[in-house]
Amino acid sequence: MSGNGARAVLDRTADRMVHATAVERLAIAVASTLLALALGAVVVAASGYDAVEFVSSLAYGAFGSKSNVAFTLRQSTMLIIAGVAVAVAFRAGVFNIGVQGQFVVGGFATSVTILFLAPYLPTGTVGGVLLIVFGTIAAILAGGAYAALPGLMKAYADANEVITTIMLNFIASGVVFYLVDSQLRPSGAAAPNTEQFPDYVELPSLVFDSSSFSVVGLGVALATVIVVAVVMSRTRFGYDLVTSGYQESAAAYSGVDPKRTVVTTMTFSGMVAGLTGAMFAIMILGYYSDPATFPRFGFDAIAVSLLAANNPLGVVPAGILFGGLDAGGQYIGFTLDVPSELVDGVVGLVVLFVATPELFRMAGRRTGLGGDRK
Amino acid sequence: MSVGDYAARNRTAIGGGAIAVVLLAVVAAVFDLPVGELLTVGMAERSLRAATPIALAAIGGLYAEKSGVFNIGLEGFMILGALTAAAGTWIVSGEGSITQVDLWFGVLAAIVVCALLTVIFAVLTIRYEADQIVAGLAVWFIGLGFGPFTATVIWGGVSSPSLPNIDNVTVPLLAEIPVLGRVLFDASPLVLFTILITAVAWVVLYRTRYGYWVQAAGENPEALDTAGVDVNRVRYATVIFSGAMAGLAGAVLSIGIGSGFTGTGVTMVDGRGWIAIVAYLFGNYNPVGAFAASLLFGATDMLQVQFQTVGISLPGSIVGLFPYAAVLVVLTLVGYTRVPAAVGEPYDTEE
Repeated sequence: MSGNGARAVLDRTADRMVHATAVERLAIAVASTLLALALGAVVVAASGYDAVEFVSSLAYGAFGSKSNVAFTLRQSTMLIIAGVAVAVAFRAGVFNIGVQGQFVVGGFATSVTILFLAPYLPTGTVGGVLLIVFGTIAAILAGGAYAALPGLMKAYADANEVITTIMLNFIASGVVFYLVDSQLRPSGAAAPNTEQFPDYVELPSLVFDSSSFSVVGLGVALATVIVVAVVMSRTRFGYDLVTSGYQESAAAYSGVDPKRTVVTTMTFSGMVAGLTGAMFAIMILGYYSDPATFPRFGFDAIAVSLLAANNPLGVVPAGILFGGLDAGGQYIGFTLDVPSELVDGVVGLVVLFVATPELFRMAGRRTGLGGDRK
Repeated sequence: MSVGDYAARNRTAIGGGAIAVVLLAVVAAVFDLPVGELLTVGMAERSLRAATPIALAAIGGLYAEKSGVFNIGLEGFMILGALTAAAGTWIVSGEGSITQVDLWFGVLAAIVVCALLTVIFAVLTIRYEADQIVAGLAVWFIGLGFGPFTATVIWGGVSSPSLPNIDNVTVPLLAEIPVLGRVLFDASPLVLFTILITAVAWVVLYRTRYGYWVQAAGENPEALDTAGVDVNRVRYATVIFSGAMAGLAGAVLSIGIGSGFTGTGVTMVDGRGWIAIVAYLFGNYNPVGAFAASLLFGATDMLQVQFQTVGISLPGSIVGLFPYAAVLVVLTLVGYTRVPAAVGEPYDTEE
């Protein structure tokens, strides 16, 4: 009887602890973002711009009009999928910094597949759907394969994945540029772009009248979140993945092969990253181009995932927040003349603060906020 | 340390180096490369110049990691150093004609500014126990953002206008020595300084008390603490040193050997900070080894010029990727270098 009572107390305490850490994580995420934005505003003011106008324009650029909201959601769609790709790897304790490269390779696979298959398939909606499906599958396979490489190098040669994935980002960008420029550029074209995809290869524009955003794309992003969340919480693979992230030795005792988990984790993460590339090529570009000119979704996704404490479900609000930041940043770029690179710097600051939870815990203790926990 | 000792301790690095040399020889044989024409004095000169920024950042980084802090932010600090050097020169010259003194001021500014920024990084990682990998990545993102941002505020575009660079130093008589004279005695003072600092870094690390403190802070911080040395003070010193060196490395890129700051894409640093990390891993945390590895990466970086002169036609965008591919080969062969025991672990004194 008393044993049961003690157990119940323990359970309640555990519940409260879990709850507390969730609240604490949310508080840290919000505080990091606000602090980074405040520092951004200080930098803006120090550079001779109007800080108040900067903040209000940032908000207007993100959510001020229907077309601004469409642009925000477009960026959010990309950041949510890429953020999930990062979260999968980080959850398992594997630092996949190569989401950008896997995204570039995935989008390239999509483009090649669509351009080469188009002449053999019927035109119109049926052909469009088939091309989108085949292109997306190609991207998922290519992204997964490109991520498996650093996974194998980490598992069997102990090569630090932070560095190998960054090197593979550079290599992906360079090789794809070379192939697009020398093989896929129509003769006579000035820019290193492939041909346009056939015009029936596009996601339907519902709700928002935008040529580069479709609610279907956002739906794909949310579906990805759900699939990944289910895989991570309900399958053996997901269990192995999360356990290796918490404690590698414990995972090994419970019969998980740590080397194989590293490779499968990277592959899974890369498959999701590849999907980001497919969405980018199909929904946003409608052709393929020099990867050096692409947005760095793969890097911003690291901030998104960290802000969400590497939880796939948390990636959705974090992705929307960063999508807004991105859209607002581009808006101030051409209205206020404040260089849009500022937002990249602010993203870096967010990452820096999220990496330092102790800073906020200490500040919390000093000010007496949340000081009840010892 | 005798040569025999060194060889015994660094079997993996030497083995890896040997394998790399054999691989290169096989590649040369298979593709019938005119090796003799590729290895010219000009090639040596260019490789040494290209190796300089990598070696400087690598030596700073290895001190930080030896003491237990993985400064993965080298790339970011290099970007900020490259920018500060160009901006400092520009501002102090009053936007008029730029003198050698202005350039040296720019170099100094880059070192000081990066050292100060690293103080913040050091406080966050050492006192506030920030995740070293994530914080280091953040530094890169901050550099990628605020570097081109500041350039745009100053020059109206992400890159600076073309700037002059620091004059070569020609030592009379010695410069006449064949090969060596041209490579070493008619060279940028920054190249010579890098060679000097490599030697000094080696002596300090292996032959002085401070060097032992650095090693102990990374291997056995408890013992160092027991001996009455403040572990975190040693770590602050090495991390700030690594930031200053990365700042200098960036300055070398933009105004030491380059011609201004380029902020397009991933900026002119273009992964050299990451390559520096691999250089000291490859060199097994030995400054001399790190320098040799930097030279290897510098040479791969300069292959393009050699290929053009001997008429091997490979597209520039592909040859430009050789250093990154070389890094992957090196990491796969010698990835298992022994990392100092306490790297990544914050040290709390138990009082």
